Amino acid sequence: MMNEDDAMKGLGVINEHGKRERRTVRLVVALMLFVAVIYAATFIKLPLWLPALK
Amino acid sequence: MTEAIAEVAHDRPPAGILRWLTTTSHKDLGILYMSFGGIMFFIGGAFIMAVRAELLFPGLQWLSPGMYNQLFTLHALIMVFGAIMPFATGLNNYLIPLMIGAPDMALPRVNNWGFWILPFAAILLLIPFFLQFSGIGSGASGLGWVMHNTSLDLQSGIGIDFAIFTIHLLGISSLTGAINVVVTVLNMRAPGMTLMKMPLFVWAWLITAFMLILVIPVFSAAATMLLTDRHFGTHFFDAANGGDPILLQHLIWFFGHPEVYIVLLPAWGLIPHILATFSRKPVFGYRAQVYALWTICFLSFIVWSHHMLTSGLPLAAEVYFMYSTMAISVPTAVLVFCWLGAIWRGAMTFETPMLFALGFVAHFGMGALTGMILPDVAANAQYHNSYVIVSHFHYTFFGGGIFGMMAALYYWLPKFTGRMFDEKLGRLHFWLTVIFFNMTFIPQWFAGLDGMPRHVADFALRFSAMNLISSVGAFLLGLSQLLLVYTVVRCVRGGAKATGQVWEGAQGLEFTLPSPPPYHTFETPPAVK
Repeated sequence: MMNEDDAMKGLGVINEHGKRERRTVRLVVALMLFVAVIYAATFIKLPLWLPALK
Repeated sequence: MTEAIAEVAHDRPPAGILRWLTTTSHKDLGILYMSFGGIMFFIGGAFIMAVRAELLFPGLQWLSPGMYNQLFTLHALIMVFGAIMPFATGLNNYLIPLMIGAPDMALPRVNNWGFWILPFAAILLLIPFFLQFSGIGSGASGLGWVMHNTSLDLQSGIGIDFAIFTIHLLGISSLTGAINVVVTVLNMRAPGMTLMKMPLFVWAWLITAFMLILVIPVFSAAATMLLTDRHFGTHFFDAANGGDPILLQHLIWFFGHPEVYIVLLPAWGLIPHILATFSRKPVFGYRAQVYALWTICFLSFIVWSHHMLTSGLPLAAEVYFMYSTMAISVPTAVLVFCWLGAIWRGAMTFETPMLFALGFVAHFGMGALTGMILPDVAANAQYHNSYVIVSHFHYTFFGGGIFGMMAALYYWLPKFTGRMFDEKLGRLHFWLTVIFFNMTFIPQWFAGLDGMPRHVADFALRFSAMNLISSVGAFLLGLSQLLLVYTVVRCVRGGAKATGQVWEGAQGLEFTLPSPPPYHTFETPPAVK
C-alpha cells in the first residue's frame, strides 16, 4: 500500500519528467527555427553584409 | 507474463542485424558512428594513395588530370565529412550521456535517423566515381572539398550534383546530431552536474554543436544556390549574368573556417582528460579552457576571408582578416599552456593514449604555428595555393584531428569493449604513425616553400626528391594504419579483461561504471557532488 509521501514523491518525478519533455520540445523547435532563418538569410548574401567586403 | 517478457526484451538489445538497424541506444549508435568513421578513413586514405602514386615521379601521368581532381576531392570530402566528423560524433554519442549522468541522448530516434543517413550520403558521393568506369557520367566532383577549386565551367555532369545532394544529406545528419547534443547537455544532466562541473569534452561538444547549427545552414544554402545556378536558371555565382563568383567563396569559407574548429574542438575537449589521467593530476585550468573554447568559437566566425586573401579583397578587409585571424592564437595558446600545465610535474606514464595525446600537442602545435604565418597578407600572396597550405592543414587535421581521435580511441576502447588492447602494438602504431606522418608532410612544406603549386597532377623536376619522400611516407603511413585495425580486432576478440576504472588516474562518471557499461545506464540519475 503506497503511503502519501511515496505518492507525492512519484507525482514529483512525473511532473519533473513532463517539465523536461516540454523544455526539450521548446528547445528543439527554437533550434530548428534558427537553422531555417540562417538558411534563408544566406540567400540574401549573409557574409556580404560587412561593408568592407564590397 | 507478457509484461515480464516485454521488460526482459527491453533490457536487452534485439539480436543480430536488427539490433544495429533499429537501435536507439546511444552506445550502439556511438559504435556505429565510430565504425563508419573508421571504414571511411580507409576509403579516403585509399584515394589519396592513388594521388601520391601519381606524384611519385614527374611525368608519370597514369592518372588523367580530371581523375586526379576527383581523387583528391573525394579524399578531402571523405576524410572531413565521412571520417573525422562521424568518429567524433560517435565519441559524443557514447560518452556524453555517460559523462553527464543521463540515461541516453535526448532524442534517441532522431539519433538513429541521423546515423543511417550517413551510409546513403557516402554511397551518393561515391556512385558517380564508379559509374564513370561503365561509361556513365563524367565522374565524381573534382572541385575540391570547398567546391570552388576551379571554374565551374570546367566540369559539368552528374558528379557535382551528386556532391551537392551529399552535402545536403550530411547537413541534415550533422544538424540532427548537433541539436541532439545541445538538448541533451542543457536538459538531461544529472542533479548536481552544473555546467561548470561538466567534463571539458562535453563543453567542447556543446560549443561544436552550436557552431554546426550556425554554419551548416550556410553551407547547405550555398550548395542549393549552386544547384539552382546549374539547373534552374539562377545566377547567384554567374558573373556573365550579374552574379558574383566571389560570393560562393565567401559563403563556403563562412562555413569552411568554423568547420576546421568543428573538427578540432572535440579533440581539444578530450586531450585534457587524457593528459590529466596519465599525469595523475586534475585537469589544469578548467575555467580558462572553457572560456578559451568559447572565444575560439566566436573568433572562428569572423575570420573566414583569410582563405581568400588573393581574391581581390579591399585593403581594409585584408588587414582586418589578417589581425582577426592572428587573434585566434591567443585563446589557442591558453589551451596549449593548460595542456602543458596538466603534465607539468605530473607522475607521467606513457601508455598509448598518452603518447597519442602528446603527439597531438606536438603536431597540432606545428599546424597552429604554421597557421600563424599564413594570414599575413604579404606572405599569403606567396604561399597561397602552394603545397605549404597542404602541409599546414594536414598538420592541423591529421596532427590535430586524427591524432586526437586515435588518443580517444585508445583511451576509451577498454571502456567500450570491456577488454584491454595490446600496449606494445599500440605503441608501435603510434611511433610508425609519427615517423611516416612527418615523412609525408615535412617534404610537402619544403616543396611548397620552393613554389610547388597544389591541385596539379604533375610537377617540375626540382620538386622530385621532396615528392618521392612524401609519396613513400604516405604509402607507409597508410600501411601502418592497418596495425590499428589489427590492434582493435585483437582487443575485441581476446584482450585481457578491463576494470571499470580502466586507467589508474582516470576520473569521470563513465569510469564509475563497469567496462563495458550495461545496456541501460543511469536510469536513476547519479548524485554528483
